[in-house]
Amino acid sequence: MNTNGHVVQATNLSKTYSTGGREVEALRGIDLTIAPGEFTVLLGPSGAGKTTALNVVGGLDRPTGGELTVAGEVIAGNGHRAREGQLDALRRKHIGFVFAQFHLLPTLTAVENVLVPMIWEDASDRGRAEGLLRRVGLDHRLTHRPDELSGGEMQRVALARALVNRPALLLADEPTANLDTHTRDEIFELLRELSDEGLAILFATHDHELAERGDTVLRLSDGVIADD
Amino acid sequence: MTLTRLAFKTLLQRPARTLLTIVSVAASVAVLFSLLSFNGGYQAGLKKQMQQMGVHLMVVPIGCPYEAASLVLEGGEIATYLSDDIVEKIAEMEGVAIAAPSLMHAIVRPEDGRTDIYLGIDGEHLALKNWWRLNDGRKPGAALLNNPNSLLMGWDAALIERREEIGEKMWVPEIETEFAVTGILEPTGTQDDGFFYVPLNTAQKLFDLDGQITAVQVRLTDPALAAEVADELEVAFPGAEIIRMEELLGSMTALMDSARALIFAIVAVVIAISGVGVLNTMLMSVFERTREIGVLRATGAGRLHVFGLVWTESLVLTGIGGAVGLGLAAVAARGVESIIKRFVPMAPVEAMTQFDPRAALICVLAILGVGLVAGIYPSLRAANIRTIEALRSE
Ligand SMILES: Nc1ncnc2c1ncn2[C@@H]1O[C@H](COP(=O)(O)OP(=O)(O)O)[C@@H](O)[C@H]1O
Ligand SMILES: [Mg+2]
Repeated sequence: MNTNGHVVQATNLSKTYSTGGREVEALRGIDLTIAPGEFTVLLGPSGAGKTTALNVVGGLDRPTGGELTVAGEVIAGNGHRAREGQLDALRRKHIGFVFAQFHLLPTLTAVENVLVPMIWEDASDRGRAEGLLRRVGLDHRLTHRPDELSGGEMQRVALARALVNRPALLLADEPTANLDTHTRDEIFELLRELSDEGLAILFATHDHELAERGDTVLRLSDGVIADD
Repeated sequence: MTLTRLAFKTLLQRPARTLLTIVSVAASVAVLFSLLSFNGGYQAGLKKQMQQMGVHLMVVPIGCPYEAASLVLEGGEIATYLSDDIVEKIAEMEGVAIAAPSLMHAIVRPEDGRTDIYLGIDGEHLALKNWWRLNDGRKPGAALLNNPNSLLMGWDAALIERREEIGEKMWVPEIETEFAVTGILEPTGTQDDGFFYVPLNTAQKLFDLDGQITAVQVRLTDPALAAEVADELEVAFPGAEIIRMEELLGSMTALMDSARALIFAIVAVVIAISGVGVLNTMLMSVFERTREIGVLRATGAGRLHVFGLVWTESLVLTGIGGAVGLGLAAVAARGVESIIKRFVPMAPVEAMTQFDPRAALICVLAILGVGLVAGIYPSLRAANIRTIEALRSE
């Protein structure tokens, strides 16, 4: 395992979808390394392949080519193909996702939403969930349900949920796309702080202004990372 | 937070649909439980009634046994007789608790348009019918038959004769005899109410049937010995016909059995329908929650977790429905019972639907089985949802 301490190490990663006889090359051989505490922005227009890249790196989808190691786990490479259970465990233990649509469970309170990833680990730590909600600035919204929260508050809950199993990597798929600029900046600031504390972040966005504030910016278009 | 708690919370997403499903499960469990406990109660009641008849075997003169038995039961006259020396021999046989001889004789009174039935009995008969009570509340004893002219009257017989007082005299012109009333029996609801009971010796003398009897009614120490003792009696008394009372009741039980088969067919259909209801509810819920299930997978859930979640939900649905149904049935049991009694032959008088833990257990297991089976397909569908597509879906 020669990841040199990197959380993500991807070489020549590709992903081709075949639907109805048509082939779509969503990723055409991208290289990617992310170190602990590194804030990487994946910048690209809609359809560039950002979501695909995050899904593959996060073990939600399998690459069709190339090599990929995440948090020390070989996901693909040298003919190896991760089993589904290995991908589930990878997501469970090492990865947190946040999405543009927040994706909270509507019948659960903020604390309960944060506790969901712990269910799969047969664990439950309400104190930790509350601590994380306080950390993201929601100490007054612990028992509110999603329909009682603003967009920014929902994304904070989603962020706390993504962090509850102490992941090494946060995959954020346009998490500020549905927020106003002020809230967007607040959320971004929060992510900045988290990366300063050692969390590796891969942040997909089409927002050039935000991209400038990352440690590393990768420009993705048509499944290829432009080298500049 | 646990998987079970998540399942509960998820079911609250569509409270109306969840409630409707629970109600339908509860209804079928209530029906199932009522029928099961009614069935148990009915059989227990029937057994008790047989016990109360107190007669397990009847020894009668040879002839068509059922005809003879029904004649005795309905109070007809039998042409042939048995010798009364068999009574003692029967009484001494193993397994026999009581052997009570009786001599039945009818006095036809065309001018009054009635036939009086006289039954010559002894103390053994009173011991056999140990549930008889006199209208003053006492238990009838052998002393009531002490005098040759003693007369013990069934409730209806006394009513027809308009006798109310102990010690009253009754003149019977056909046999030129005067009896003295020694007791009047409380109504029993059976043919016993219509008889005139006199000492066996008296009956034998009055009707010119010295040493003769028409039947010996036998109570066994254990009803289970009926077949065995009947066989022995048949060998010992070739001139007698042995009737097992449970065989008489058998035809009625058979009737009840077919009614029960129909009832259980209905229950099976009701259960199946509620199972389909659970299946439908869960399937709709899975389709609606495609994106949420994708989110669960993104947070680290494996297929097995998703399968377990949806399966737990269907178990929770049927579990709550089952509990509600049992509660409902326990409360409504009396009402259901009165309806059922109208459709069932010879229903026992007392309450049949006491809370029967065995029936409750069967119900719980049945409905959980329904939940498990009905939940499998939706759970598989949920487990096979493709995560990335689920997350993209709006
Ligand atoms: N499941 C799929 N099947 C076929 N094509 C897909 C699928 N998912 C994504 N694509 C295609 O892959 C390309 C990249 O999509 P995506 O990764 O969602 O881009 P982005 O997130 O940057 O908008 C698009 O052309 C899209 O239509
Ligand atoms: Mg996208």
